[in-house]
Amino acid sequence: MRQSLPLRLDQISKSFGSVQALSPLSLEVQPGEMMALLGPSGCGKTTTLRIIAGFSMPDTGSVFIGDRDVTELPPHRRGLGMVFQNYSLFPHMTVAENIAFGLKMHKRAPAEIGARVSEMLRLVHLDKFADRSIHQLSGGQQQRVALARSLVTDPAILLLDEPLGALDKSLRESMQFELREIQKKLGITAILVTHDQEEALTMSDRIAVMSTGRVVQIGSPIEVYEQPRTRFVSEFLGTANILPGEVTGPAADGRIPVRLDGSRALVSVAADEGVREGARIRVALRPERMRIGAQGEGIPARMRATVFRGSYYAYELDVDGSDKPVYVYADEPIEAPADGVVGLTFNPRYSIVLPAEAA
Amino acid sequence: MADVRSGAVQAPGLVAPRRRRRTAEVGRLGPVWAVPVVLFLCGFFLLPLGSNIMRAFDDGQGGLTLAHYIKLLTDAYFAGVVIETFKVAIITTVVCLLLGYPVAYFMVRYAGRWNTVIVFCLIAPLLTSIIMRTFGWTVLFARKGLINNWLVEWGLVARPLRLVDTELMVYIGLAHVLVPFMVLSITAVLQGIDQRLEESAQILGASPWQAFYRITLPLSLDGIATGCILVFVLTNGSFLTMLLLGGGKVTTLSLLIYQQFTLTQEVAFAAAMGNILLLCSVIALVIQLRLVRRKGVKA
Amino acid sequence: MNAPAAPARRRERRNYVALGLGIYVLAFMAFLLLPILVVVVISFSSATYIAFPMPGVSLQWYERVFDYAPFMQSLKVSIQIAVASAVLGAMLGVPAALWAARSQSVAANAVSTFLLAPISVPAIVLGFSLLYMLSALSMGVSFTSLLITHTVVSIAYIARTVLAVYRAVPPDFEEAAAVLGASRWKTFWHVTMPMIRPGIFAGGMFAVLISLDNLPLSFFFGSSTTNTLPVVMLSYMQNQFDPSIAAISTIQMLIAVVALLVVNALYGIEKLTAA
Repeated sequence: MRQSLPLRLDQISKSFGSVQALSPLSLEVQPGEMMALLGPSGCGKTTTLRIIAGFSMPDTGSVFIGDRDVTELPPHRRGLGMVFQNYSLFPHMTVAENIAFGLKMHKRAPAEIGARVSEMLRLVHLDKFADRSIHQLSGGQQQRVALARSLVTDPAILLLDEPLGALDKSLRESMQFELREIQKKLGITAILVTHDQEEALTMSDRIAVMSTGRVVQIGSPIEVYEQPRTRFVSEFLGTANILPGEVTGPAADGRIPVRLDGSRALVSVAADEGVREGARIRVALRPERMRIGAQGEGIPARMRATVFRGSYYAYELDVDGSDKPVYVYADEPIEAPADGVVGLTFNPRYSIVLPAEAA
Repeated sequence: MADVRSGAVQAPGLVAPRRRRRTAEVGRLGPVWAVPVVLFLCGFFLLPLGSNIMRAFDDGQGGLTLAHYIKLLTDAYFAGVVIETFKVAIITTVVCLLLGYPVAYFMVRYAGRWNTVIVFCLIAPLLTSIIMRTFGWTVLFARKGLINNWLVEWGLVARPLRLVDTELMVYIGLAHVLVPFMVLSITAVLQGIDQRLEESAQILGASPWQAFYRITLPLSLDGIATGCILVFVLTNGSFLTMLLLGGGKVTTLSLLIYQQFTLTQEVAFAAAMGNILLLCSVIALVIQLRLVRRKGVKA
Repeated sequence: MNAPAAPARRRERRNYVALGLGIYVLAFMAFLLLPILVVVVISFSSATYIAFPMPGVSLQWYERVFDYAPFMQSLKVSIQIAVASAVLGAMLGVPAALWAARSQSVAANAVSTFLLAPISVPAIVLGFSLLYMLSALSMGVSFTSLLITHTVVSIAYIARTVLAVYRAVPPDFEEAAAVLGASRWKTFWHVTMPMIRPGIFAGGMFAVLISLDNLPLSFFFGSSTTNTLPVVMLSYMQNQFDPSIAAISTIQMLIAVVALLVVNALYGIEKLTAA
């Protein structure tokens, strides 16, 4: 059983010319933990990964693998494993040769190499594919070879750069589970870079949400999804309906009253520390946590469109006070009234309080 | 009758009519446009070469003979020239490869903005005549030329070196003309090799040199082969460099044909020499084609 | 609470490989340009023979060149042949290349190989063969023969560029035009041509440059009226070795440079660095 190591980034920053790709960033990943770096393109997640891998030197700060400061080490001496976005399998080698490459570079004995390669092939369920050319493999199979290749040298930390991006949807979903299973089974520390929030939520122990070179929030998937700290985080993970309003009374029983702009509806939301009477806030509500009821109950809204999404129905509604349409998901189809006007309600427990603009 | 449920329509007893292939698709020209040039080339390319092949068998009395070829391949002097031709071509190819690969690698991996400048420097010599470039080498390396003047001035040699009219000078001249072709051939292939393959190798423990040697180099073999064939063929055809820089020390088939034409009128013999050269080129062309076909399959 | 100490500034890891290669490439570029520069410089020499260092600057060799009829006459012939053979080569080769580039048939593959074949044949063999065949047709040594000879080679160079350029253009554009209602001819003229025109002119330019410098081909067709510049330069070099060669070479180079700049300005061929 491998000794998995923690990863520590200490005040890493990087700029390219006049563009500050990373502001000083510090991060700790626990041994055996899978940490996702999640964010839109340009947020710095790939830059961070490349600094960890050693392809890029940070302008400031250090990278620690376990206790060792590896910042000055070139990539081939860091003992890491990496799965690239398009797998980067060596086209002129067979599956077995690809997997064996790392062991050859570490000068292991041929007998050992043979045994390890077989072991890895079994791990990723590609036992019979050893002598195939990589051009004969499907996308999913290539991905598994890439994984096997990265793990064969017993790396201290595994880096994954959008590993599932090139696969189609159903394959991606099954690979998410498989990858996670292997990572947990081997107990290896892993960093996953992705822009797909579903991937991050499914696979990781913790998510670091990044934007324009900074980590905006770190937490478990549930924390980050249900308690986003900024509008950006709430909208990046899942859909969020944002309704601005004003606090009209003191907190009581963990709830505070809010009068929403536009519709002037009075709602009760989960109390957030430091929010006081008279403060302007924004209420974020997940579509799956809202209910469509009769006109007069809750927030007035007008139905605009209905979309059937297979496992649920998505409703688009206009709400006075919201700059964008409000979305509500329901398991069962809902009959719209003649004039299309309905009322939206929600359980305050699932409401999210965000600061007013500028976040 | 229409089957309302499934939406299928079945007309009883009718087979769908066969369609005539449209000879020219969207915006494309038809093969008729190729006819003029094919006729032209048949008449002024295939025919002359073909008659040249026949001419080499001419014994001067209306009959056929292999005498010219036999003389070419067995006479000590002429066989030597044939071997010299190959030798020069092979050495030049190897030299161009060794000089050119690093340039190509730099252009693709490190040059960035400077790439255009380098490409310009590679192509610029084509704007000048080969006589100009060869003349330049003569001037540089002549007894009283630039290089010798410096060497003498800086006391590195007691007397000017005899650099022109040597075999070395011929190779320098040839390399100067041909390395750009090698570089551009290799660049074309190197550009297609994802840098991430080298990075993958490095993460797996390969030092930068190992990553190059085991990954990039094997993958660039197609470019190397194309470049080598090109340089080989072009060297075969060149004679000005040998004529002006070799001082008679380097005689290849092309040069011999030139000399024979000006000195003697042995047309059939010259034709035979030309055919040997032609044969080399055809073989090279065939190899090049097999290479392209193989690459097409691999992609 | 104190802010954490400012982290250490790091310098980018020095890439010795890039540095070493860079120096090598610099030296290599100097190697490429050196002989050319030397010739240009010495064309302005005031000495009466080739000598370094140059005693002074003078335009005497340029005067000499303009006075020397064979140089001027052959320069004219060279330019005429180069341009005419490029135009003829384009007229013959471009339509065939356009067809072959898109067609997948065996005939198309064969034709494109055939079009490119002249490049692989040593020019001296081609020139020699054509001389004898044309003589047998009693066309012998004449401007027309020379033109035909150069055209064979021009076709190959132009076809090579046009094939490459046209193959690189995805058929999507033509298909979009067809859907929008353009006939086959209109699509070709309004969509295809503008996209490949730089390629045609780049190929033509290349053919012109090759033709200007093609001695082995022209050598066999020499006479006072059909000598091309390289042929005259060669015999001059072998008989009188003086900086006139440098002057006429420089003039030829300037003509080529100007032509390239003009064609590039008109048709933007520099985009095709692969040409």
